[in-house]
Amino acid sequence: MDELMTDNRKVKVTVNGVKYEASAEPRTTLVDFLRAELGLTGTHVGCEHGVCGACTILMDGRSVRSCIMLAVQADGAELTTVEGLSIDGQLHPIQEAFRESHGLQCGFCTPGFLMTIFELLEENPNPGDEEINEALGGNLCRCTGYQSIVEAVKIAAARSAS
Amino acid sequence: MDVNIPKSLDELPTSEVRWVSKPIQRVEDPSLLTGRTEFIDNLTLPGMLHCAILHSPHSHARIVSVDTSKAEQLPGVVAVVTGEDAERWTKPIGTVPKGWGVRSLAVDKARFVGEPVAAVAATSRYIAEDALELIDVEYEPLPPIADPSEAMKDGSPLVFEENETNVMIDRTFTWGEVDEAFDQADHVYTEKFRWNRVGANPIETFGVVSQWDPVEETITCHGGFQAPAYMALGVAVRFRIPPNRVRLVAHPHGGSFGGKGGGRGTDITVMLSRKTGGRPVKYIEDRIEYMIAGGSQAWDRRYEASLAVKSDGTVTGLKVKLLDDLGATGEGYAAISAAKPLAAFTGCYAIPAAGYEMTVVATNKTPGSPYRGMGPPPHNFVLEQMMDIAARGLKIDPAEMRRKNFIPADAFPYTIPSGNEYDSGNYDATMDELLKMSNYEELRRDQEKARAEGRCVGIGVVTSIEPGVFNNNIYNILGNMGGTAVPEGVTISIDIFSKITARVGFALEGQGQYTFVAQILADYFNATPDDVRVVCQDTLSAPPHYGPGGSRMAVALSGAVLGASDMIRQKLIAVGSRLIGLAEGDAEFMDGVVRAKDDHDRKIVLRDVVGAILYRSDLLPPGTEPTVDATYVWTAPDRGMPDDQGRAKSYLTAANACHLVMVEIDLDTGKVDILKYFIADDCGTRLNPAVVDGMTQGGVAQGVGAALLEEYAYDDSGQLLTATFMDYLIPTVHEVPPTEKSALTTPSPLTPLGTKGMGEGAMNTTPAAIMSAINDALSPLGVQAREVPATPNRIWKLVQGARDASKDS
Repeated sequence: MDELMTDNRKVKVTVNGVKYEASAEPRTTLVDFLRAELGLTGTHVGCEHGVCGACTILMDGRSVRSCIMLAVQADGAELTTVEGLSIDGQLHPIQEAFRESHGLQCGFCTPGFLMTIFELLEENPNPGDEEINEALGGNLCRCTGYQSIVEAVKIAAARSAS
Repeated sequence: MDVNIPKSLDELPTSEVRWVSKPIQRVEDPSLLTGRTEFIDNLTLPGMLHCAILHSPHSHARIVSVDTSKAEQLPGVVAVVTGEDAERWTKPIGTVPKGWGVRSLAVDKARFVGEPVAAVAATSRYIAEDALELIDVEYEPLPPIADPSEAMKDGSPLVFEENETNVMIDRTFTWGEVDEAFDQADHVYTEKFRWNRVGANPIETFGVVSQWDPVEETITCHGGFQAPAYMALGVAVRFRIPPNRVRLVAHPHGGSFGGKGGGRGTDITVMLSRKTGGRPVKYIEDRIEYMIAGGSQAWDRRYEASLAVKSDGTVTGLKVKLLDDLGATGEGYAAISAAKPLAAFTGCYAIPAAGYEMTVVATNKTPGSPYRGMGPPPHNFVLEQMMDIAARGLKIDPAEMRRKNFIPADAFPYTIPSGNEYDSGNYDATMDELLKMSNYEELRRDQEKARAEGRCVGIGVVTSIEPGVFNNNIYNILGNMGGTAVPEGVTISIDIFSKITARVGFALEGQGQYTFVAQILADYFNATPDDVRVVCQDTLSAPPHYGPGGSRMAVALSGAVLGASDMIRQKLIAVGSRLIGLAEGDAEFMDGVVRAKDDHDRKIVLRDVVGAILYRSDLLPPGTEPTVDATYVWTAPDRGMPDDQGRAKSYLTAANACHLVMVEIDLDTGKVDILKYFIADDCGTRLNPAVVDGMTQGGVAQGVGAALLEEYAYDDSGQLLTATFMDYLIPTVHEVPPTEKSALTTPSPLTPLGTKGMGEGAMNTTPAAIMSAINDALSPLGVQAREVPATPNRIWKLVQGARDASKDS
């Protein structure tokens, strides 16, 4: 087993503006690092093979699946997770839009969707139907049937435009 | 105390209903949206260890030996358990029918790929998984049986040798003059169907943190339990300790749909905790574990159905023969999904006679699990396809064919041949609304135009009944299912600030359950939903409860909330009337005040009555308890045990839906695209229409998956071929169409506020609707799809067959 028990590495990351330095085995996934080491449990694990998108976070502004990345790969990076969206309990406009459109039921996949949509609206504040579907196509939701999530994107986009 | 539960919104003690029936925002959402909700994997306890489970790679094998010595030596490993521990400490998992159960870790032989064989508790999940590699299991492979028809034959390998057969259930039901109906029919249509295994796949898998207390001999488990009280009872029975020594704490779950599972993971972590001398042990099922060995797989079915029809389209008889491959055991109540169709066997139709042959067989596949709808989705697919076959044979429009056979609106309450009573409905009105909203005739013209252009376009129009408010009573036909009561309890209390707390026995799961509790209480006590807190209690603190499941939660929990509220109302009147010098009989509670019935200005507000009850015993009748709280446990009224043909009033409500879907098939690839989707449905009073619409849309999504994409495919040796989301395809935003929805409201006369169970209806309807549309599209080619999912490969083969046939002719 020795080859599996390699030395821990130091990982320095900035998450939601806060600097962290912690150690991780090279094999530790980024999502396990965020959840277990840093205590940021808002990012969820759904499939552990990069399909469902529940673990989506932003790394240097780009969405990544934190279940199929290693913590060491994020060394030096700036990360944003769902905990970084709301400030002082005040919902982010995308979160508000989700609540308004009933864009969630169980809420487990929601943090991944929020981060995906955050990225979409940063890049394209006024996306069309095709662009919305293209962006959401990599996130699975088993409860809502997506209609209300698409609606949430439109509400959030309209509100930021006004 | 006589408890009065309002049967309609008008009966609520408010002059204006402000919250119930409105699409208000959910009270649970802010916590979920900010990632703060405590899903089970967020829980860490001091000293907690992590569990990993070793699964059998064989579908059928004798376990010769399990050597854990090397694993135990790995630094960080604290305990390892095997079948020996399970045999020593636990009883087999209970099954329906009896006698088809195994322990949570395999003893002597493995019966399906993925069956847990050993488990490790270590200081991290990573180390626990390393240790699995160090466990040596010697297997002696046995011939597997993966085909249910073969499994029924003499000489087949046996999943349970001691049972001397693989046939778990073989029952024939005859309701009415079935033979006569078929003898006297002008036409008899018979067809075979195949429904492949699908399953729940909530985005969160099952998880649990268990702790055995060796001093007190108690078990505490925190977990994603869908029905915590039932699970707690199961744990107590399996570990042979009294139920009051088991405490389950339900955490919010990331979906369940019936398929959360969890019994095995719970047992295994309890055993590991026991072996460590009482440390808490966490197990989070990973996705592959969920798919091969969790609560994920349902309905592996072969059907043959016949319809007896008069030449005018009147259906006079229905026969259904089901062969259900349940997999390796009878755990998890999966077998009852073969019996649930009794609650709506003949759908929306006034078919006077029916017969059901139900054979349930064990094979070396993953044991079946409950899944949204619990049996009616495949049954209704079969029934609706038969209606289409008859309509096509008689050249009757499919909507007309259904209309001709609807139970008329003035015939309720209506008892169907299989014994259940439908409470209310107006199926003609639902169909009218569907055809109107979809511009049906225009859609048919569009279809003609498309066909003229060489496109393969079809329209499906189907109906369904959703039996709501499940009851155990009919499942007694399968044996040991218990009685006629399914409890749902709540404790309501009002504090000195007039804030209201509701204590329930189950956690959030996604159906907006805390929101509608807050809506009802806000209207009842002249408050706002913000004034209400709903909290989940553990199984030793909560009143008897069941939780979400069986399409009953909103009805049952409303009943409990309204019952407890009425008990509080009566106390408020008793005390309030005295405080303003009225005889109790002359006072009423309305809009948050106790007032004189004949002089509404003579009143005392809720806050003052509550304050007096809590702190001024000197003003109260002697013996008045200084508390404003009440507990009420609701169960469906008037349920009896079934007769020898399984007939009983079982499910309390019958919601009705009509779906219309238009599809286009790419003849070169076999891919089906959904062009339009319309829904008209009637589930009685809607507590929160936005929540109802959301669950309907979610049911459509799962129906799209079952009809077109999802399949647990096995090879002949019982190896699962689709154990990841790369192979088992969950619908994405690209596959699930937005739907246009219209609501009709025929309240139930039997339930609190006139509600009906509604969480499963779209799943009962969508697969049938899509398959009807596909077959309508294919009909000019002379081929029909009889197997779900209708994958591109299957459809392409049908189309190729048709093309080859036309070349030959």
